[in-house]
Amino acid sequence: MSEVNRKWTDGMLATEDWWAVWVGLILFGAGLLSIWGIDAVGWMAKTKTWEWSKFVADPSFNMFLKAAHGKAGKAYEGMGGFGSLIVTFLVFGGITTIGAYFQKLDVKKYVLGFTCIFFITFASWMAGHEAHFKAAMTSQSKLQSEIYGNDVYCMTKVHKCTRKINKALKKMGIDVLGGQVPTQEQAAMAVGKVKKAIRLSWGLQLGGGFSYILSLLVGLFIGNFLKGFAGFLKEAAKPEWFIKTAIVYLGVKLGHMSISSTAKVGGGGELMLDLALSGAAAAFVAYLIFWPIVYALGRKAFNLRRDASAVLASGISICGVSAAIATAGAIRARPILPIAVSMLIVVFAMVELLVLPAAYTALAPDQPIVNAAAMGMTVKTDGADAAAGAILDELMVANHYTKTGELWEEDWILAGAVLTKIWIDVFIGVWAFVLALIWVYKVERKPGQSRVGASEIWFRFPKFVIGYFIAWLTYVAVVVWFPEHAKHADAGAKVVQSPMRKMMFMLTFVAIGVITDFSKLKGMGRLTLLYAIALFAIVAPIAYVVSYIFHHGLMPPVVVAG
Amino acid sequence: MKADVELKLTHDGNKWIGQNEQIVASGESLNDLDEEVKCALQKSGSYAAGAQLTVFMGFDFETFPRWLRQYHNHYFNRCVSLVL
Repeated sequence: MSEVNRKWTDGMLATEDWWAVWVGLILFGAGLLSIWGIDAVGWMAKTKTWEWSKFVADPSFNMFLKAAHGKAGKAYEGMGGFGSLIVTFLVFGGITTIGAYFQKLDVKKYVLGFTCIFFITFASWMAGHEAHFKAAMTSQSKLQSEIYGNDVYCMTKVHKCTRKINKALKKMGIDVLGGQVPTQEQAAMAVGKVKKAIRLSWGLQLGGGFSYILSLLVGLFIGNFLKGFAGFLKEAAKPEWFIKTAIVYLGVKLGHMSISSTAKVGGGGELMLDLALSGAAAAFVAYLIFWPIVYALGRKAFNLRRDASAVLASGISICGVSAAIATAGAIRARPILPIAVSMLIVVFAMVELLVLPAAYTALAPDQPIVNAAAMGMTVKTDGADAAAGAILDELMVANHYTKTGELWEEDWILAGAVLTKIWIDVFIGVWAFVLALIWVYKVERKPGQSRVGASEIWFRFPKFVIGYFIAWLTYVAVVVWFPEHAKHADAGAKVVQSPMRKMMFMLTFVAIGVITDFSKLKGMGRLTLLYAIALFAIVAPIAYVVSYIFHHGLMPPVVVAG
Repeated sequence: MKADVELKLTHDGNKWIGQNEQIVASGESLNDLDEEVKCALQKSGSYAAGAQLTVFMGFDFETFPRWLRQYHNHYFNRCVSLVL
């Protein structure tokens, strides 16, 4: 058996990159059936915020999960949390197993591994949704604690609780929006009437970020302390496949954000355009500034060979493993070189993922989009970048709300991180092609002997980006050209862009942890040192400055409570 | 573009190896490999002396570790002109 890319269609059924497109678009297409009243995705398991003492008092699996069925159909109304979990497992297990078969993975090992990763993922996801970790304090508690008490948290999106408490008060004849102030007793009564409002003695208010961090830690524990089990899971631990599928679903979300935000706050579409354009500019800068500096550092300060410096420079400064392999291929380096560099990149990507979201949140809490773009330029590998973007989104939104009472619309920070990274990914083929031309025709010149085919650009192009743009543009086209179907299209798309996308992120967190083995850094002293210096002393600071220049002033839309 | 000869390219840690059903050739550098391919094609007797051939070499990505293939799925292809 061999795998040689010859025709432009090669790999369409055999690579995880293309399978991210297929898995993404199949379920996106299924979601769009809601236009014709068919709810083909409503079985999807959706996590719920739960509270420990209530679970102990009345244990029920339905506290953790529910079917995500929207307004498109009633077919799944009777489906409980456990039923939706099993159906979700069967559907995603089934589709990805077909993909695993065509990718020539060991199907038996894949099924066993995926089963374990899937249920570990949901266990972490559900645990992270315990109210003390996740729930946010209502704005009433935050701003008028002397009346409402400082212990009212919300089990759903916090602005919904705020609104419902105000409505409950209005029914009692107290119009708080009109300036009336309730007594403590009236406030307590209104809070008691809102099912999703809950009183807690303490709360970390981490939003969904806690689930992400928990699943990452679980994966890392398996990858570093249960190595036998990690080996057993390895065939199904495919963070890049999972995250690329999630990014296709994110395309639906971006379509949704472009339109709904424009309608709501006047400018969401413009913000999306700003994000896309500034992301492209920032990516361009990344190639032109980072690469020469890191290459020169490798050559001059570390006396690395020309090929090793080039591969490291691309891996550190562009898009990680993909760039390292593309560059090594372009300059015809021995394969051992990108393999060694890739091991380094995967481990460092985990360090970036663990450190940067919390660091950016703490150091620049009022620069959400700048932080997002800086993340996109700094964190290597798609999986780690999107994962870091998701954690940053959750942490920054929760932190900003806790400090100011103002709630940013979720997922804009994630979108900023991913859009920047996608631009960097898209141009890797062109970059590698240019490098190949320089190498073949200048550095190792042998006239008339070897030619570089432009098809190399296509072979290196990240195919999941095609799925991402198809999902984005299709959703926008449906809503703009067929506005009468917008509401129904939204019902199915909501399931795809929210619980399905989040599940693929969660699978990525566990899988990326499973394949990260910090002991692989042993014996790579010089390369590790160069990587650390280049990353933290060159790439991260310059990325932040560039990001600030291009994204300064961009802010996520605010969710208005009322 | 149609090549006269197609070879699967791999690297065994020391040498580049180009092979198809008719010939196997190896060399420490790609230039060495090209020379060895030329010799092997001459020895095969399938081509006339002085013939100019286009040789396509596609790297077999399955020789990369499986865990790495999810990040990228192409190494490189090369096309060389050889005069036997």
